[in-house]
Amino acid sequence: MRAVWAIAANTFREAVRDRVLYLFIGFAVVMVVSSKLFGMLTVGNETKIIKDIGLAAMQFFSMLIAVMMSMILISREVDSRTVFNILAKPVRRWQFILGKYLGLVLIVAANLVLITFVLMLTVLVAAGELDLMLLFAGAMTMLEMLVLAAFATLFAVLTRPILGSLMTLAVFVVGHMSADLWLLTRQLPGALTRAVIAVVYYLLPNLERFNFRTEVVHDLAIPGAAAGWAGLYAIAFVVVVLFLANLRFRGKDLK
Amino acid sequence: MKRTFGTFAVITILLGAVVLSEVRLGGITREDPLGRELLYLPSPEMLRIMSLGNPGLVADVLYLWSIQYYSFYRPHERFLYLETVYNLITDLDPLYVDAYRIGALIMQIQTGGDQNEIDAAVRRLFDKGLHNLPDDWQLAEAAAWDFYIRFKDRETALHYAEIATQRPGAPPRIKRMVGVWRDKESAWTLDDSIEYWRRALEDAENEWDSVLCMNQFYDAVTARDRKKLEPLLEAFITHYGICPASWEDLIQAGALRQVPLDAFGDPYGIGLEDCGLVAYKKFKNQ
Repeated sequence: MRAVWAIAANTFREAVRDRVLYLFIGFAVVMVVSSKLFGMLTVGNETKIIKDIGLAAMQFFSMLIAVMMSMILISREVDSRTVFNILAKPVRRWQFILGKYLGLVLIVAANLVLITFVLMLTVLVAAGELDLMLLFAGAMTMLEMLVLAAFATLFAVLTRPILGSLMTLAVFVVGHMSADLWLLTRQLPGALTRAVIAVVYYLLPNLERFNFRTEVVHDLAIPGAAAGWAGLYAIAFVVVVLFLANLRFRGKDLK
Repeated sequence: MKRTFGTFAVITILLGAVVLSEVRLGGITREDPLGRELLYLPSPEMLRIMSLGNPGLVADVLYLWSIQYYSFYRPHERFLYLETVYNLITDLDPLYVDAYRIGALIMQIQTGGDQNEIDAAVRRLFDKGLHNLPDDWQLAEAAAWDFYIRFKDRETALHYAEIATQRPGAPPRIKRMVGVWRDKESAWTLDDSIEYWRRALEDAENEWDSVLCMNQFYDAVTARDRKKLEPLLEAFITHYGICPASWEDLIQAGALRQVPLDAFGDPYGIGLEDCGLVAYKKFKNQ
């Protein structure tokens, strides 16, 4: 496990040195803070607007970081041939993949912690309210990003960097629309068609399962089971996708 | 050094050109075939999908836009697609209280167009809000006051006020409001009114509420007693040609069994000038 952590820490350090990351984080922080200005334009509840914008920024910029990092996650190691140095040591390929994945997760988590903190501070200043539910929304966005980062890792192994990023972006978009696929199974005629669509639905992540933003913004009760099952759903998806990534990477000719 | 200065000068000149062109462009009036017309409003389903899990944010953007957009209109104009826009916002975020409230307010500002249609549209928006927010009494109260003041539609106002009283957390003042409106509208019998205020008195949460409810209860009881006793006083005058000096005269004449008491348990008086029933609540409160 030490090897995994060493690779994760190194991936994190490498990303921290990347200026693009700061650009994204800077944009996210500016967007959250400027939500106060949008709030001032409204008639009524200003805090709702701040929370809506802040939570959307949290999700959007975390996704962008995951997509961007997937471009450099493995290809940089392969292109610069440093992957051979790593794999020449007693490091197995699955450890390399897992380390890279955890490194990406650390980057996204650091970004999420920062944005959540800034958002909580903005809400505190604007409304005088310390909303701890924003932490919950941040945690749920993290679950969503765990799944997305797993797909980013898979695509980084499967294909070229730019295509991999586009595919990760596609998973994000489709993941938020997949619930409509399920609705489609109810409306389409023919048991076989419905079954095929149902299979596609289960194979794709339903990222809306991690979306509790409405509940957080409107102070609604959140069933504990929903959060618990969402956690299990995310972990199961991550394990499956990383297993596939490892399978591909194990047989990959790196030369 | 010369080169740096030259570069700086070029950049400054170019920035100046940018500002100048922007100012000039802003000053040119152009044909605007679109005007203020809305050409395309996407469906809420489409927007929900496109929001990628942030329909609340899209609702906020539309709401902020709508406030700006409708501020271009004058009250005598017909506001375009107002109901459609606010339906869109509230479909995206059905719990957006401000959208129902402000949407209804903007609709009410219009003095042009078919007022009955505007009235119906406001009702539809409030009904949608009350359906989506089953625990919200503030929206129901706002609807009640809007119909009471703006549309002078007291029946509808009463309907929304009654909904407000049934919502959890509704303050006792709304119950009082319903009672007063019902009394004014004579929408119920005096016995209904007495029963209503008796219950409101039981539910009063503080002394202030209790005093206010007691006043209303007293008035309702007095109104009922007045209806019963004043015909007796009139009959006495008709028979004896004078106003009775006290209730004892009526008891002796066989019209009453005992001295009538008010809601506080104190005897009513008889007015010297009009020979009507006198309730002493005011004296008691002073």
